[in-house]
Amino acid sequence: MIENILVRGLLNSCVYAMIAIGFSLIFGVARIINLSHTAFYMVAAYGIFLFNVQAGFDPILSIVLSILVVSALGVLSYRYLIDPVRERETSTLIVTIAIALMMQEIIFILFGGHYRGAVALISGHTTLIGVRVTNQYILTLAVVMTALIIVWYLLMKTRLGIAIRAAAQDREIANLMGVDVRKVAIHTMTIAVVLAALAGAMVAPIYVLEPHMWINPLVIILAIVILGGLGSIKGTFISAFILGFTEVLVVIFIPGGAFLKVTFALALMVIILLIRPEGLFGVFLEGER
Amino acid sequence: MFSFKWGFRFMQKEFLSLPSRIIIALFVIGLILLPLFTQDPYILRIFTLACIFAIFAASWDFLAGYVGQISFGHALFFGIGAYSTAILNLRLDLPHWMTIVLGAVVAVVAGLLVGFPALRLKGPYLGLVTLAFPVMLTGIIFLFPDFTGGELGISGIARLASTRQQEYYIAVIVMITLITVLWKITVSKYGIIFHAIREDEIAVRASGINTVRYKLTAFCLSGFYAGVAGGLYAHYLRIAGPGLLDILMSFQVIIWTILGGIATIYGPVVGVFVLYPLLEYMRVVPQYRMLLFTIIVLLLVHFMPEGIANWVRDMLEKECPRCKERNVFTRRECRYCYAQIATKK
Amino acid sequence: MFRHRWSILSLLILVICILLLVATGCDDSPVDVDEVDEGEEANFLKVGIVGPMGFVQGDHSWYGAELAKEEINAAGGINVGDKNYMIQTVMVDTNELQSVDDAVSAVERAIAVDDVDLFIGGFRTEAVLPMTEVAVDNNKIFMIAGAADRSLLEGRVDVDYDRYKYLFRIAPPNNIELVTLSFILLNEVANSVRAELGIDTPRVAILMEMLTWNEPLVQIAQQQIPAMGMEVVGVWRPSATATDISTELTEIQSQGAHIIYMANSGPVAITYGRQWGELEIPACSVGLSVENQKAGYLEATGGYGEYDMSLNTYGRAAATEKSIPFWDTFMETYDDTPSHSAGTYDALYLIKDAIENIGTIDSEALAEEIANADYEGALGRVVFDEVHDVTWGPGFVTGFSNQWQDGELVAVWPYEWSPAEGVEITYQGAVPYKIPPRVIDYWKDR
Repeated sequence: MIENILVRGLLNSCVYAMIAIGFSLIFGVARIINLSHTAFYMVAAYGIFLFNVQAGFDPILSIVLSILVVSALGVLSYRYLIDPVRERETSTLIVTIAIALMMQEIIFILFGGHYRGAVALISGHTTLIGVRVTNQYILTLAVVMTALIIVWYLLMKTRLGIAIRAAAQDREIANLMGVDVRKVAIHTMTIAVVLAALAGAMVAPIYVLEPHMWINPLVIILAIVILGGLGSIKGTFISAFILGFTEVLVVIFIPGGAFLKVTFALALMVIILLIRPEGLFGVFLEGER
Repeated sequence: MFSFKWGFRFMQKEFLSLPSRIIIALFVIGLILLPLFTQDPYILRIFTLACIFAIFAASWDFLAGYVGQISFGHALFFGIGAYSTAILNLRLDLPHWMTIVLGAVVAVVAGLLVGFPALRLKGPYLGLVTLAFPVMLTGIIFLFPDFTGGELGISGIARLASTRQQEYYIAVIVMITLITVLWKITVSKYGIIFHAIREDEIAVRASGINTVRYKLTAFCLSGFYAGVAGGLYAHYLRIAGPGLLDILMSFQVIIWTILGGIATIYGPVVGVFVLYPLLEYMRVVPQYRMLLFTIIVLLLVHFMPEGIANWVRDMLEKECPRCKERNVFTRRECRYCYAQIATKK
Repeated sequence: MFRHRWSILSLLILVICILLLVATGCDDSPVDVDEVDEGEEANFLKVGIVGPMGFVQGDHSWYGAELAKEEINAAGGINVGDKNYMIQTVMVDTNELQSVDDAVSAVERAIAVDDVDLFIGGFRTEAVLPMTEVAVDNNKIFMIAGAADRSLLEGRVDVDYDRYKYLFRIAPPNNIELVTLSFILLNEVANSVRAELGIDTPRVAILMEMLTWNEPLVQIAQQQIPAMGMEVVGVWRPSATATDISTELTEIQSQGAHIIYMANSGPVAITYGRQWGELEIPACSVGLSVENQKAGYLEATGGYGEYDMSLNTYGRAAATEKSIPFWDTFMETYDDTPSHSAGTYDALYLIKDAIENIGTIDSEALAEEIANADYEGALGRVVFDEVHDVTWGPGFVTGFSNQWQDGELVAVWPYEWSPAEGVEITYQGAVPYKIPPRVIDYWKDR
């Protein structure tokens, strides 16, 4: 029981963390609620399907190609669609919704609404402390962990990372200190989209591909990000684990109620936010109340 | 005083003097007279649904545009209104007007329940938390399939009226009345307070105004409007299902309102009456209609960031620099104070 | 500045005028069927094919209807005395999985703009209800092929016959009979387990997505399975869109289940098939899976769906002499296996027969005629019951059960099925059910 919860919870949480951190970074630096974030994750997953299953490329090459394509899409959409209307909160809202819907429709036209699956990089399963786990899951876990460590290093130790964190804390002061906030925002967007794409690429063989697969993760990701406190990387990471484990606990302890896992996770989020309205690690910025 | 001459002068000075007023008058007259020109059930259906969605969109506009409480889960109120209307109609067999009003009252209660946590939450936090509510409600609906019908929804609800024309007129009249009332509220003294809360809540509180009460009122009123829309929808389509709580439903209302013109009340009506028939019109290319729609949305945001209604209004009218009254753009001097109106913006 | 505004405004008005012109042009374009002169020119019977196009349900509705249309038209259309109707199919893309009001508007548009004579199709119950309301408002026949809920007909056709007499369902058998059918299949698998593994009371795990349509299945299964000489080890209800059910499956294995009894229509069916195979869960899988009916199932599950078995409306076995040719033609033309939405194929043939019998396409007369139809189609012998629902049972439509064996979807039921004492039904072409080898390996030595 315990080992089951540990293994599943870890997997679930890490995938969530990877997508959510990207979202959190963009919000922090550019103050954008990017509702199209999980759509990039979906495009990456379909990219694997296109390159590997339909075009027959090597799986690793397909992953690289699809991440490249998605990051290009992400940067272009930020540069030409989101950035011009960034100052206007309402406009960014619908621009990001429209981008997500547009990608959904393009995928629908290209692949139809059929449920698809990609081929696993490594097949079969392993027994991990008494729990059966598919090998693809273990690979995903390893990749996600590595990616998270790299991101942590990037944010904490490099000049770019310091610039990103500075911009996230106070955009204006960072600008005054000589940080090119516009450029930093584009770099952040790239990092965020690459993370989402990597997550999409890794889960493509595990999850079912369909043109609306971006909606469910979006809800959970948003819940994670605000639970952790908007713009706080540490908070996002921790709340990804809280909600990820909550879902697994619901599935294990209420077998007949597994469909309620999202409801439980969201209810938990609402309750915590009632106690701490700025999220677990969020800070109230006086100028932005 | 109520002479013909007075009426004529009133029309000339107050009504015909501004293109936007003429457009509104033509729109209302056109809606009322539409069934005289066409009995086509398809066209009547599109406009009936547009009326219903216009009420829904206006309710979001009031909450988000005026009070600044941007909600990403407005489908919650719409869905609750529809579900309660359906349950009341089926279980208690109440007449339409009563089920719709009671359904809306249930939506008001939901507005209070969402409003309380919303008091503590600010800006994006509020938006993202409200997104969670319809998803949670969907889970609850699936938990009690005997009562809610699960994914099949509740069907067999009484029809709104016996003919298409009657249904159309009910929707049009309810829409015009409710929108007028809401618009009157927003231009009243209370409307200014709501608006001020959006701009600077702390300043409003410092002026001795109980912002908590106003924010809760806003949630209730918005919930009521969305609930009425939901109730009409349930009686019109004769079904209330979990599809009403979809995220896309919440997103749709945001798109309509912002593209129509946020914080105007008439903006969302314009948005719905332009975009909903447009999406319907694009059925000529069924496979690509949603894609085309998103492209149009992106273009509109780019070229009319203030929304269609405001863009058209700015095109047709100019503000007098001295007395701030609006004038038709062909005038060179203000119709009130005769000040010169600058020709360049 | 004035000139600038004027030019933008006039441009706008011009664009609106053009749009309006195009719109009115579109409204007028379809030829009015009744006005076409008799003689050389053929008349058209316009059939609206209703479904979410781009999704498997809509696509199969369209494929089935297209196939029947091609065949009927090539054979000279529908012959009614001195008249000759050619079938014209109109795609009614309902988008019903996303939006109910969209779906209803699509049907309304098909009547108002495309002048459709009758409808076939419809999948999502929540959308089919209001769509059929619009159809009966306009006295149009709506033959459901896809949605299984009994309440689409019961409580409507029997209560207000004059209004709802235009509604029929040809496929699949309604949700109550699907329960019966899936119990028969469970019993067949249990018998195999008893015979081949020597287990007297097989343990059954119920794994069904949390939706209302399979609710009766879950309820009845818990009472019925012990009475059938089996033991229920637990009930799991994942969400229909769950992307990971390995927790549930691991739990099922640790409970020692021999059979997984499932009923899934959403994407969870793919997740299930893949993880059931990849985690090598040692249990047979039987029940109802919408995804299992598709040719792409093995690919979507990465090959792990092998040996999964589900009931189906069509199968490659001879319920009638039309069954196997239909299956093969469908496979050949669309590279896919027909699912229950492809019932549009038989629906169109049935309607053709009815029109030829009475000699008119008048909806009211046609509805009366179809209600009394007795038609042998690819899915079996179609006879409508008192609420215009397709009759299920031996000698009528029985349905099929198909299993994935060696990468092929083969019919494994009805195979030596005895619905009553002394009666045994085997459709020609059906093969015996195979227990997955890993299940045999796992349980043989215990």
